Amino acid sequence: MKMEVIIMKELLEGNEKLAEENRKYFADRHLLAVNLMGAPGAGKTTLISAIAKELKDIPMGVIEGDIASSIDAENLEKQGLRSSQINTCGECHLDARVIRNGADQIDMHDGIVFIENVGNLICPAEFDLGESVRLLAASVPEGDDKPFKYVPMFSYIDVVALTKCDLKEAVGFDSANFLKGLRAVSEAPVFEVSLKKNGNAAGIDALARFLKEKYEQMHQ
Amino acid sequence: MHELPVVLDIVHVMDEEANKNGMKEITRISLVIGELSSIIDESVQMYFEIAAKDHPCEGAKLVFEHRPAMLKCQSCGKEFPHEKNFQCPDCGGDSNLIKGTGREFYILSFDGQ
Repeated sequence: MKMEVIIMKELLEGNEKLAEENRKYFADRHLLAVNLMGAPGAGKTTLISAIAKELKDIPMGVIEGDIASSIDAENLEKQGLRSSQINTCGECHLDARVIRNGADQIDMHDGIVFIENVGNLICPAEFDLGESVRLLAASVPEGDDKPFKYVPMFSYIDVVALTKCDLKEAVGFDSANFLKGLRAVSEAPVFEVSLKKNGNAAGIDALARFLKEKYEQMHQ
Repeated sequence: MHELPVVLDIVHVMDEEANKNGMKEITRISLVIGELSSIIDESVQMYFEIAAKDHPCEGAKLVFEHRPAMLKCQSCGKEFPHEKNFQCPDCGGDSNLIKGTGREFYILSFDGQ
């Protein structure tokens, strides 16, 4: 006999459960997990590197998510970060399951763990990884209209690093429009940074302080 | 872009439900998808046709029910669905996203026998 069954069954529930387990794992180990998201080329790896230089007194690790290669993990390891590499082999995001493996590999107690997500402004906003902070790297050359266009991502994050701010004038970036779009969907604070290859880093100190405060709050 | 893990989840849930309800065949699955879930109907359909093969839900009709993200006007307080921009259709004021709306993502119901 044919019948209709109402189930109201959440999808991706498996990921949510694993994310909660990860959250407990990080808390038990006094690790502040930061899910760093952003488009390819937004400056995610450079941001981690600059924050690590600012916060030398806090142990840091990184779980690197890339479709292929281990370039970013190797570079950050040279700088003294503990690292593990996850190659998603085409998958457009990291999920909670792979994070646990990555965390076990770096095996840290006490510190900050960056989870550098796959460069993508869409899919990572669907997958809770068990992080405590969702940090978005949005770069000036991407344009000031992105909060209007990528509502799922901009409404998902806790804090924004607006990178490559030294290019504002060159690309005609309208800061007021960016903030207008962001404020429509999020209360996330914005830290403007400009990081250059020659080591000149502007604005990173404020973002580093923000993360340090989160790290210290975790110990209270 | 991440419809494949979603579809595998749907097939898995339907396997369990068919077993639980003593059904040999699932003929319709209703999905509720919020605007902010970034899920494309056509991609779900395409993956489903492949992933459901040899499962009880093979050949089931997928019905998509969309839910918008809701906005609230900062000036007049009107609540309205997000469409092209964040401007209030009544007074033209700027609006804010009502937290949690548009992120729905679940199987509402299914038919089987």
